[in-house]
Amino acid sequence: MTDEPIPLHVSGIHKKFGDTEVLRGISLEAHKGDVITLIGASGSGKSTFLRCLNLLERPDSGEISVHGESIRFRMTRRGREPADRSQLERIRTRLAMVFQNFNLWAHMTLLDNVIEAPIYVRGVPRKAAREQGMALLERVGLTERAHAYPAQLSGGQQQRGAIARALAMDPEVMLFDEPTSALDPELVGDVLEVMRELAAEGRTMVVVTHEMDFARDVSNHVMYLHKGQVEEQGNPAEVLSHPESERLRQFLAPRGR
Amino acid sequence: MIDFMGYGPRLLEGALLTAQLAVLSLLLALVLGLATASARLSQNPPLRAIAVVYTVAIRSVPDLVLMMLLFYGAQIGLNQITDAIYNHWGYDIFITIDPFAAGVATIGLIFGAYMAETFRGAFLAVDRGQIEAGAAYGMSRWLVFRHIRFPLMMRHALPGLGNNWMVLLKTTALVSIIGLSDMVRIAAEATRATHQTFLFMIPVALGYLVMTSVSEVIFGWLSRRYNAGFEEQH
Repeated sequence: MTDEPIPLHVSGIHKKFGDTEVLRGISLEAHKGDVITLIGASGSGKSTFLRCLNLLERPDSGEISVHGESIRFRMTRRGREPADRSQLERIRTRLAMVFQNFNLWAHMTLLDNVIEAPIYVRGVPRKAAREQGMALLERVGLTERAHAYPAQLSGGQQQRGAIARALAMDPEVMLFDEPTSALDPELVGDVLEVMRELAAEGRTMVVVTHEMDFARDVSNHVMYLHKGQVEEQGNPAEVLSHPESERLRQFLAPRGR
Repeated sequence: MIDFMGYGPRLLEGALLTAQLAVLSLLLALVLGLATASARLSQNPPLRAIAVVYTVAIRSVPDLVLMMLLFYGAQIGLNQITDAIYNHWGYDIFITIDPFAAGVATIGLIFGAYMAETFRGAFLAVDRGQIEAGAAYGMSRWLVFRHIRFPLMMRHALPGLGNNWMVLLKTTALVSIIGLSDMVRIAAEATRATHQTFLFMIPVALGYLVMTSVSEVIFGWLSRRYNAGFEEQH
């Protein structure tokens, strides 16, 4: 089992927006079953970094490999672009993303959202996709809402639906971009509960979050980003309880409330 | 039943021609409009420039002028080409532009420019997150277009498309100047011959009303279809 390629290997990601350097060489390695949390103030680059992993943002330099396969790049007039669109599409199917604003497709029912990519991207027969989709919706407690449209669902329901959509791809790694930040406080718990279950069953996850309890209790590795660099990282119990850097200490200090 | 002093069958033929002309022109305008809007929004500067020139030029010139320019101008251009072929190689080719095809081409070309503006605004109104979600799940650009961008865009485009269609339908009356026997031209002939203006013009007006009413029903259905999932926000 040791020669199994690791799910996600990322090294030296740099990214500029205009003249502003938002990522200054970030690397990450996720082994099977790892839950890695990325924390940091807004503007630290954590979401941009996550979005670089599936190339929703184009990194200016750095390597990304998924299950041992490196994304190929080429230089164009507009900068560094993926060299092979079909390779990128194939790799993206293995990196399912859950967005802060859910981004469920508004014109499709919840079930159609869940089965869309399995059917049209992976070529799963419709009947099998529907059965799997219903099973996933049951898992996240949304069986009754399968035929509702996103606008008819609460934020928490939408986010749990979005997690079902991600699971339907049976992804190598799940990417979560602040999945609870857009939710009313009373709806956060349900979503975190689903994520805890996924972690417990050995899903490989990379999670950008402000939920320190989740980082501490669920993840096995935490990375604190500051101004586009990893300021401190390691075992959450140690890093979050005994931060070495002054900045992380200040970041973790109780703010109001 | 009144037989419109013998003009009944010809009026019906004219109505049919109007309807055919309008529907074919609409299809052409939709295709041109979608292509032009996509070009406008693309990252390719020459494509964007062509799209801008097309939309600005067409929308700045009266429809009537464009129609004569395209119909007679294209015929003159074709004649020059066939003459040149005859002079150089001795092949005598004779091509006349079919007025119906010219009508469809002209009206389609004119309304393609208006459709392009409608589509462009509608594409810009689609939430970026919806498209990103498609990309993140490994969809090709074409699949994202068909399954996400297009259906979400249509919700915003339909009111404008409906409006353009109404104007297009009525613009078909202009084709009588290039010799096509549409509903209006037949009625005008009949009126000149019989001096019975109301007998012919009121049925023509009603004919347009029937066509617009049918299209209201179709647009209503399309609107319900593309607004599915959004009723909560209205």
